Amino acid sequence: MYQLALTYRYLFSKVMPLLAAVGVALCTLMVLVTWSVMSGFLGMLINTGRTLVGDVSVGWPGAGFAYYDELIVDLEKDPLVEAACPMIETFGSITPPDARPRGVLIRGVEGASYARVTQFADTLWWKPVDEPLPKDKARMDPRLDGLGKAAWSEIYKNGLSLTRPDPRTGAAMPAIVPGIHVTGLNRRYIEGYYKPLLIERRQSTGKSEWIDAFLPLDPDLPVVVTVFPIDSMGRPYEAYSRNLPVANEFQSGVYEFDQSIVLMNIDSLQEMLKMKEGLRVVDAPAAPSAQPHGESFAGAPPPATVRDPARVTNVLVKGRGDMSDPARARALRERVQEIYDRFAARHNGEVPSAADIEFVTWEEQNATFINAVRTERTLLLVLFMIISFTAVLLVLAIFWAMVREKTQDIGVLRSLGAGRGGVAWLWVCYGLAIGLVGSTVGLIGSYLIITNINPIHDWLGKQLGLVIWDPKVYYFTVIPNRVEPLDAGVVFVCGILACGLGAFIPALRAAWMNPVAALRNE
Amino acid sequence: MMPLLSIHSVHKTYRLGRVPVPVLHGVSLSVEPGEFIAILGASGSGKSTLLHLMGGLDRPDAEPRGRIEFQGRDVTTMASGELDGYRNNAIGFVFQFYHLLPEFTVTRNVLLGAMIRHGVLAYMGRRADLHSRAKELLEKVGLSHRLTHRPQELSGGERQRVAIARALMNDPPLLLADEPTGNLDHETGGKIMDSLLALRRERKLTLVVVTHDAEIARRADRVVRLLDGRVA
Repeated sequence: MYQLALTYRYLFSKVMPLLAAVGVALCTLMVLVTWSVMSGFLGMLINTGRTLVGDVSVGWPGAGFAYYDELIVDLEKDPLVEAACPMIETFGSITPPDARPRGVLIRGVEGASYARVTQFADTLWWKPVDEPLPKDKARMDPRLDGLGKAAWSEIYKNGLSLTRPDPRTGAAMPAIVPGIHVTGLNRRYIEGYYKPLLIERRQSTGKSEWIDAFLPLDPDLPVVVTVFPIDSMGRPYEAYSRNLPVANEFQSGVYEFDQSIVLMNIDSLQEMLKMKEGLRVVDAPAAPSAQPHGESFAGAPPPATVRDPARVTNVLVKGRGDMSDPARARALRERVQEIYDRFAARHNGEVPSAADIEFVTWEEQNATFINAVRTERTLLLVLFMIISFTAVLLVLAIFWAMVREKTQDIGVLRSLGAGRGGVAWLWVCYGLAIGLVGSTVGLIGSYLIITNINPIHDWLGKQLGLVIWDPKVYYFTVIPNRVEPLDAGVVFVCGILACGLGAFIPALRAAWMNPVAALRNE
Repeated sequence: MMPLLSIHSVHKTYRLGRVPVPVLHGVSLSVEPGEFIAILGASGSGKSTLLHLMGGLDRPDAEPRGRIEFQGRDVTTMASGELDGYRNNAIGFVFQFYHLLPEFTVTRNVLLGAMIRHGVLAYMGRRADLHSRAKELLEKVGLSHRLTHRPQELSGGERQRVAIARALMNDPPLLLADEPTGNLDHETGGKIMDSLLALRRERKLTLVVVTHDAEIARRADRVVRLLDGRVA
């Protein structure tokens, strides 16, 4: 009983323990705010990372595999599968109108089916919007007006179909949809919207003019796309370049994607990569020794050929229901693998076996950047926990001093019959109480900060010019925050236990004090 | 009749670094129930050490082994927990410098022994009784008007009265006082002794007082003189 009574009195009659409680509160607050923002960031990355890849991907990079239409039909018959679509993924380069080439990952897709399997339609940036972005109080986003709704709708439709109407005939021409940072011709503002940059264009007269580099609108601003085809046997052909207009641009929310991926019409890409159905020479006749005037040798047999079916490098699969749980995505992957097994058995020797081909879930596909952020989050937490360990040392130092100050009280307690265990428990109780007060204050403070992190951030920006989370750097307009009650509970309990731990050594010292020496202490 | 406390050939040596400093050399003493003994002696003669050994605050030397028996039970061989119980139930200590806890009110200081004796639930169950007993003790020492005051708001004499009330809270049969008037003026010291003796009569307490004060010694039933760690 005396432990509770003394703990209560000690807690509110001294400044030092209250300072320790403030230290604990700050540490709890720091860990919780960091954890929630990093968890929110990770959650955002995981969600946005799934937007363009489907739930499971069947892949055979490079040469690709044939009969994919048949595989898609098989997949879509399964109750676990909602939709599937073909995709070609290859490395290439683009040269935007500013004539600065850059290496990219080119994905050939068929707009409608790709939109069924992924959230491609939602990622298209240039579209009519009614409401400004949360931070765009001045309504500066060009999508809000300017071209007018009809024009924005047209650009959006172009993006969905990966085509642009020919300005002369009106016929649909194949076009590309690059990530919004691929061309480097869009400037991102702090409020989160984009505006095209001005670029210099040289006219036929030799003069140059500055124009808005809004690629999805201007028919005279094509992009040169270059790919490196290989045949079904994996043998390389010469590089193939083609001028393609930009239909729209996408923003997935993952910077790595938005600055390196270019989507284009699958038919065009198949053609450029020589992955369309066609004849392949398998046994060319020996060249004649001497033919006058370059004429062909009339008696030579025609070359032996085989018909190569069209190929893709991937089939993307969307599962039925919510696949955000990695375990469900893995179950879907197992099912897709079974379906592919049967498909490969039917086409023995014509398609790669299930053992060779890659089956990856969205999580495995994005493992590089998800794990990087996970590691960063863990690293930050470890660092902050090490810093928070100073709270333990703070409590230890304060308690060490307090035990010294209260030596006579300890002697009195022992003389009145308090045991060593009881005296030790008094100090541990006291430490736990400081932890409880500090952690509670820290928990409440962190909740208030986390739930108001965006207004606080905006206010700091206005008053002090401080922009800690620059959207241009962190790639989100609203600071992501997610408080997991379990995580908060763990931090809360750890804060209390850390103080108990800090009090433990001084408590032992108090317990093993000789009561006579303690009473004589001055 | 069995003595309340008997001490047989007790030795005590302290250590100053590596140097042994013998304080008591085979002290023997018997304290009868209800007796008032004054222990007199010069500074460093071992008076307070003897009092601490009697009260189980310290242990005598293991070699040569002496014995301290309280109602026939050897205190020197008690386990640590048992010794805590002995101090809590059988002994009441009064110190020269009062040693009140500054964070507690007068009433809470008096209740401290009871708080140590009882766990939270047991204490809460008897809270009313314990508070009424503390109040009664404070009335007896003339402090009924100071119940909610802090020790620092009291005079030296008042503090010592609180310490006496605290020592009696668990109704111990033996009260050990280490120079209880040593920090007070003559008049106040006299009043404190009056209070102590009145309580002793009322409760049939056994009282052992360590003092330099010849006046206190004069009022005792028996005076024990210590000289260089021996009973003279």
